Amino acid sequence: MSSNRWLATGNYFTSYREEQRIFFTSLDRAVMGFFLLCLFVWPIFIDVDNKYMLVIDNILVAVIAVMGLNLVTGFAGLISIGHAAFVGIGAYTIASFSRVLGESHVLLTHAWPVMIIISGMVGAVFGAIVGLPALRLKHLYLAIATLSFQMIFQWTINFMDFFNQGQTISVGRVAWLTGTVSRDQHYIFWYYAILVFIVLTGFSVRNLLRTRYGRCLVAVRDNDRAADAMGMHPGFTKVYAFALAGFLAGVAGALNAYIYRGVGVESFTLHASITYLAMAIVGGLGTLHGSFWGPAAIKVLDLQVEKLAEWSATFLPANMNLATALKPLSFGLVIVLFLMFEPRGIANWWRIFRSYVKLWPFRY
Amino acid sequence: MSYFFQLVVSGIVVGSIYALSALGFVLIYKSSRVLNIAHGQIIAVGAFITYALTVWANIPIFISLVFSMGITFFLAMSVERVFLRRLIGEPIISVIMVTIGLMSILDGLVYLTPFGSENFSFPEFLPTTPIGFGGVSISWTQMVGVIITIIMIAAFSWFFKKSTVGISMRAVSDDQLASMSIGISVPKVFGLAWAMAGLSAAAAGSIIGNITGLNFETLHAFGIVVFPVVILGGLDSILGAVVAGIIMGLIQQFASGYLDGNWGLNGTGGVAPYIILLVILLFKPHGLFGIHEIERV
Amino acid sequence: MKKNRKIFLTMLFSAVFLVALSAPAFAGNVYKMGLSLAITGPTSDAGNPYAKGVEDYFRLVNETKILGDDTIECTIRDDQYNNDVTKRNYEDFMSQGIVFYLNYSTGSTMALKKDFEEEKMPVIPASFHAGNLIDSNYIFLPIASYSAQAIGLAEYIVKNNKKGVPKVALFIHPSAFGRGPVEDVQKAVAAGLKMEIIEVVEHGKDLDNTAMLKRLMSKGVQYVISQTVQSPVATMLQDAGRLGLVATSFGEPGKITFVGCHYTGGNDLTALAGASAENFYWTTSYIVTNEPSAGATAQLALAKRYGRDDKAANSHNYANGMMVAQVATEVVRRAKAKGKPVTKETLYQELLAMNGNNSFSPGTTVGPVTYSATDKAGVDTLQLYVAKGGVFKSIGKPFIPEYTSKIK
Repeated sequence: MSSNRWLATGNYFTSYREEQRIFFTSLDRAVMGFFLLCLFVWPIFIDVDNKYMLVIDNILVAVIAVMGLNLVTGFAGLISIGHAAFVGIGAYTIASFSRVLGESHVLLTHAWPVMIIISGMVGAVFGAIVGLPALRLKHLYLAIATLSFQMIFQWTINFMDFFNQGQTISVGRVAWLTGTVSRDQHYIFWYYAILVFIVLTGFSVRNLLRTRYGRCLVAVRDNDRAADAMGMHPGFTKVYAFALAGFLAGVAGALNAYIYRGVGVESFTLHASITYLAMAIVGGLGTLHGSFWGPAAIKVLDLQVEKLAEWSATFLPANMNLATALKPLSFGLVIVLFLMFEPRGIANWWRIFRSYVKLWPFRY
Repeated sequence: MSYFFQLVVSGIVVGSIYALSALGFVLIYKSSRVLNIAHGQIIAVGAFITYALTVWANIPIFISLVFSMGITFFLAMSVERVFLRRLIGEPIISVIMVTIGLMSILDGLVYLTPFGSENFSFPEFLPTTPIGFGGVSISWTQMVGVIITIIMIAAFSWFFKKSTVGISMRAVSDDQLASMSIGISVPKVFGLAWAMAGLSAAAAGSIIGNITGLNFETLHAFGIVVFPVVILGGLDSILGAVVAGIIMGLIQQFASGYLDGNWGLNGTGGVAPYIILLVILLFKPHGLFGIHEIERV
Repeated sequence: MKKNRKIFLTMLFSAVFLVALSAPAFAGNVYKMGLSLAITGPTSDAGNPYAKGVEDYFRLVNETKILGDDTIECTIRDDQYNNDVTKRNYEDFMSQGIVFYLNYSTGSTMALKKDFEEEKMPVIPASFHAGNLIDSNYIFLPIASYSAQAIGLAEYIVKNNKKGVPKVALFIHPSAFGRGPVEDVQKAVAAGLKMEIIEVVEHGKDLDNTAMLKRLMSKGVQYVISQTVQSPVATMLQDAGRLGLVATSFGEPGKITFVGCHYTGGNDLTALAGASAENFYWTTSYIVTNEPSAGATAQLALAKRYGRDDKAANSHNYANGMMVAQVATEVVRRAKAKGKPVTKETLYQELLAMNGNNSFSPGTTVGPVTYSATDKAGVDTLQLYVAKGGVFKSIGKPFIPEYTSKIK
């Protein structure tokens, strides 16, 4: 019996190749295509405040960064507490160009896609360098080594005059086919730009995981000695996991620089690193679509808590502390509750939901 | 030359306070393989409790220090019971993240109190004239801090060497399954390890609070500041924490004493420990005194 | 059943409709403003009372009808010292149509500078960083910049030094906030201020400053100018106190006189350093509440009216927030008095016109607030205070630093 091209009625895989397909049925492909189309056209029909557009842009940038973190921490199992530093390196690559060439140099404003790729590459180089200790260090010691990198990064930026001692280095407005992107188009423009990057990186990461390089990552995570025995090179794999993570982080950093039209060290502190980790965990470590759920969940939570705090301030005027204490409290609670009750993250809910839909209405 | 000796003495003083702060990490890691990133927050909470008891309840400071150590003892124990008991056997990243989450939760709780955004200082209870010899001087506060550190570390060392509970804790850190089979309650040992870490945190917090004044940001940052110390010493060695604490104290003092202000450098005291840490880790991946894990496929 | 529900729904809708209609009908105009600052997180010890000051004063404005029937609606948001959140808040305020924006940290003010320029939004930040004013037309500092404060202190040192050229060290925060004034003080020295800068010390999270202080002593430093936050100053003062280095009178030979800018002093310092804060010299443009003045009475009355504790009521950051709100209210009042519509453009014009006879004395500061197209720092006068017996007491008359204009 052959498989139905439109509906999954069971597993009919006869080869590994078949099992590794991205889309099992044409319906899957069509749904994905429709979803992508929706992502591109919805802003035409729905008008969104700048604030929320900024939040959406932020989420998308975080998605790229978390994808990188997921590669290194989720798939390769190397804990990185310095991811924000890699994002910062991407952003400061743009900032360096801005410092040397002037903030509105043609390279920065017109060739911005190239700039973003370059930032990614610089990020990758630093990723590989920081990945070197991973050849010798493991687990917690490695985590602390990445933390050291985070501290050294912050100190360097804070110290060097070239980086304006951590104060904002501004980046000019970019140009597009229609001319300079103006203030009211800014966020929507970058929404599209980031979306393109996400689709590209998303598919590349998805495909990477189907290749032997991707399987290498997982094998090294599960047991690097066993992987070694099977002929993989754990050292190389670890370094290149860091390099890949660095690349994605660098791209995210460059996008961040363009969205905020400036780079300041305060966006790339230890707290940001921790937030990226929290996003990866809440989304689901070691899953690709977890990288999408996590940032969305954390940022939306942040917004909602802010609203709740504001609402509570209407009847608790003197107790501002109560309202503002909610933010760290809820952030911490979400992390802890997820780890305690749903360690596989939101991605697991999605999996449960999918299998429910697949079998509906004929459940066992 | 007296400048050099001053740096050495200050380094040792600061280092022993680092060692006391690092002790909490080590105690927890030793028995349960958890790196408690929220330790800085517990340090701050300990300091605040001591302050509240001393100033608001008018209890003499040493007695309130003891009370505060008792309170953080139970606080840390309940933290372990509520948050970490469920995570035994989970991957390392989950355990790290749960303590990071804990950090945020404690932050939120502290912001509910006046300590979150106000400054306080302990009343003076020691002579303000320094102890000086040969051009080198340290304050009474620091001296008392060092003495408390020595007492606590000696007490813990004795506890682990001689007492039955201490020996059972060492057994758990050595081999959980084996110790379970001879009738040691592993969860209880974990709880006790946390409780003792809480106790040491209250002592560390009160000492630091006496030196810097009580500011939440400054106090909880200590959790991060002593990280290099913990790692350098090897996560599971009390002796390592002491040695590494003093080394880091010296490095910091020498960096800010000799590097700052020369060659256009500044603020090197903050970053030097991390650089040294990275270099040392390259040669000794398990720190100076950490136990090599033997991995099998 | 169905009919009942219909009636219920109609009543509900009409009630909502009525409320929605009547709310604007009773009140006058509502002018929206926004404030984004760190109520929690880093620097919250300053941000918290600041937020209370702003909130209380605007409530007072609305309740006592200072603007007639019109009210000011100022949304206060916590950004936890995170620039990205500040930007988000600002975008939100913009969509709400604010006419005046209050900001907080140096970092976010610098990061948003471009946005303020493009949207022509008048802004008063809580950061007195001189760099805020570079390439900027819409940022107004409430009081003299950190640079002016540091230069003012330097001038005071030069004037009151007993003999010889005073040797000075700068003790600064390891960030642009701390480093900002260094260059300007150096410029002032180059422009003829007779003083020698021996060393610039950037502090870390130090538990012990003995070595640093001994080094300064051996280099013959007589004065230390601090530009940082209270906590490191407190640690340094405690160490200096037990080493017996603190001068009991200004410029006492063989000792070090410690002086500092706005964010190093005040009640927060005495709270942190206790008795060690004694004889610390501090400059700011705000009044202190332990010395009777109209401003102090107003400040304490405001805090009492809204049930603030003593600590907040006496904080100079409460005065800071209150003063900023006073300035914002004043420009609205002036624009209204001239019959102009209250928009960001008219408020900007009113701010620029706030000089000469039009200068504004809020009472919470030691001098009048003056702004013009060339002078974007509000209160130019500074007052020197010294900690005696746990409170800061004023010394001499308010003064205006001379070298700030000379180094431009």
